[in-house]
Amino acid sequence: MEVRVKGRFSFRGGVHPPEKKGLSCESSIQAGPAVKEVAILLSQHIGAACRPLVEKGAEVQAGQKIGDCDAFVSAPVHSPVAGKVKEVGLRSHAVLGRSPAVVIQAEVEAQPTRPSWEVNGDFDEGKYSSEQICEAVREAGIVGMGGAGFPTRVKIEPNPRMPKETMIINGCECEPYITCDYRMMLERTGQIVAGVKLARRASGCSRVIIAIEDNKPAAIEAMSAAVRASAKGDNIEVVAVKTKYPQGGERQLIEAVLKKNVPTGGIPPMIGVLVLNVATTAAIADAVVNKRPLTHRVVTVSGEVIARPGNYYVAIGTAVGDLMEFCGPVTQKSAKVVLGGPMMGLAIADLQMPITKASGAITVLTKGQIGRAKFARRQTACIRCGRCLEVCPENLNPTRIAHAVKSNLLDLAESYYINACTECGCCSYVCPANIEVTGYIKTGKIFLARQKKKMPQ
Amino acid sequence: MLKDITVSFSPHISKPLSTRSVMVDVIIGLAPAMAAAGYYFRMRALILIATCVIACAATEWVCNLIRKKPCSLGDFSAVVTGIILALSLPPRLPIWTAVVGSVFCIAIGKMVFGGLGANIFNPAMVGRTFLAVSFGALMTTWTVPATLDANMSKVAPENILVSDRSEFRTQATPLAWSKMAIKNKLGADTYSEANFRGTITGEVGGCLGETSAIALLIGGIYLLIRRTINFHIPLAVLISAFIFGAIPYALDSEIHTEPTFAILDSGRYVQPFFHLTSGGLLLCAFFIATDPVTAPLTRRGMWIFGIGVGFLTMLIRIVGGYPEGVMFSILLMNGVTPLIDRLCKRIPAGGKPVVS
Repeated sequence: MEVRVKGRFSFRGGVHPPEKKGLSCESSIQAGPAVKEVAILLSQHIGAACRPLVEKGAEVQAGQKIGDCDAFVSAPVHSPVAGKVKEVGLRSHAVLGRSPAVVIQAEVEAQPTRPSWEVNGDFDEGKYSSEQICEAVREAGIVGMGGAGFPTRVKIEPNPRMPKETMIINGCECEPYITCDYRMMLERTGQIVAGVKLARRASGCSRVIIAIEDNKPAAIEAMSAAVRASAKGDNIEVVAVKTKYPQGGERQLIEAVLKKNVPTGGIPPMIGVLVLNVATTAAIADAVVNKRPLTHRVVTVSGEVIARPGNYYVAIGTAVGDLMEFCGPVTQKSAKVVLGGPMMGLAIADLQMPITKASGAITVLTKGQIGRAKFARRQTACIRCGRCLEVCPENLNPTRIAHAVKSNLLDLAESYYINACTECGCCSYVCPANIEVTGYIKTGKIFLARQKKKMPQ
Repeated sequence: MLKDITVSFSPHISKPLSTRSVMVDVIIGLAPAMAAAGYYFRMRALILIATCVIACAATEWVCNLIRKKPCSLGDFSAVVTGIILALSLPPRLPIWTAVVGSVFCIAIGKMVFGGLGANIFNPAMVGRTFLAVSFGALMTTWTVPATLDANMSKVAPENILVSDRSEFRTQATPLAWSKMAIKNKLGADTYSEANFRGTITGEVGGCLGETSAIALLIGGIYLLIRRTINFHIPLAVLISAFIFGAIPYALDSEIHTEPTFAILDSGRYVQPFFHLTSGGLLLCAFFIATDPVTAPLTRRGMWIFGIGVGFLTMLIRIVGGYPEGVMFSILLMNGVTPLIDRLCKRIPAGGKPVVS
């Protein structure tokens, strides 16, 4: 029976893009393609890149650590398959362009099998200490799986200067098309709850809120039932939040649920909050209990031209193109391949680009769909209608920032708080003049960072 | 393997909105006022509207040709400018004057600044001001609506000159009359309540589209429902005009000692409601002041802008030399819009950054 839920929590601004989740939300998580070759990027996270631990020709085991780094903000990478290192070379990276990767030739070409996971409600996290959990999370190379890829250990480790009290588990999945977190919440409910408890234990949070958008009543129901059934789950709350983009943005979710704003330029721990994605908590449980590193993840492949849209359990390092082929023949109607959802995802040019720990979806858009998007239609002058100001969840003045960047007035852009922008894309989405507002702001941020020598030329 | 895949900035989808769809919404919002103009002023109204629209569009086309820019007629902004200009012209204005006004609107009001989005002043009001200053007599000749019997004895107070030329009859507008009342040339009670009702339905002398308050309200509410305009500016204009219109009315020494709720009183000043429904105030509040290009961007700025427009309009109507002050107040407030925008910066949701 369909449960109707009405989310109470919301934030200011935001847009309502067509959800398009129906394409893949009914498809349960299936094994992904068998891979001949995986390319493990050495930089799959925010922070210092790993250096390779293996050389060309070396034999590796499944789950073996193949790259690591001593920096605090970093996470090691592991091989998802047993095989031989073919090369350590450059591969396409969605953000960095070309980036070093370890390419592994698989011994046997087999579809990834999903380890089973049975956790009853009485999972007791008490036998693991905070240090043990943090160490296991670090060793497993867990990073934020919602898209940003921030090393999870750094987030959950208690910090005496910024004590964390509230943990928000992000099950919003506000991007159109993406359903991987939704399927995780339905199929891996117990694992998520176990991960939540472990993260709670590690971070010392006293209150846990699992926030799910109200367009996923089944997930809300499943998570609530699991929390109720679980022992020591009394300070875990499941709340429905309004379906609105970007509800799943960290800062917006905190504003919606706690009615508090993270300081501009600040991070959630400054107000005692920790936000984790549901897939990340599932990975934490797997890492701590089963000592399994993060080598596979669930990826939604969706789009009107995909023959078999669905949610696939794939080895990290699988080429995007291989995964697309696996979901049916790739037709020439596909005009844009987006790593992530259509609002914030990155359009990619090289289909050999490997899946990373943070890639939750591949969205394939048709010419007709992108014809509606900005670049294909002629940009006209800004008529200062103010729609971008209305939808900006960070309460910025996007059009002024964009025009300051366009005129190369970075000081002016900074005076309009360009760095407070979260690049959610709402301003570009609503712009009637088809201006790439978000694009200009992103460019301006890069220019500013270069000016301050934070980024290589 | 895929050929020709596109790479661009996110977001990769967008709302089906365009400048044209925004402008079409405004045209739909103006439709009731155009219909009212057609009803009360018959062919004259339609001819004037058509003239202004065609002249505006032609001017924009020529300007683009001269500037070697792509044709920008597709955004329909010239059509909106033409309609608003036409609705703010007196019905008997000669065609050539309307053409001159339209050319000035687009060429000087908009295109010299670089086209849509770059103009500082509302183009329609620039054109109207040009006409008002250059052709004062033509711009203040008001015909009686076709629905009124022109031979009726009490079309206007008897002591107001009603010209009786052979082809048409003219009548003082409600605002001209209220100005005379202020200057003590006649008492405010000489105007009948029927004529006050005329300012609501539109059965009164005045500019084409300004006379019918009901038609303008319907169009304005349509734009509000469609979210083409925000409620801030119209509300600010109307509230401030009401308050600044009410102050002299309340202070009027000739007013009765007991509070009265009659629409019109015998003092020198008219009811503030009268100010709201007469003249171009409603057209201004819903269609001219809300022109996004020349109005501030932020909410606070919109309030300041609206209050300023309302205040200046009432200042000119009550104290100044002209009976109507909408066009000057709009232009003056357009001039300070960049300053208002600079004054009312938005603060990010997380507060100002701690480290700059």
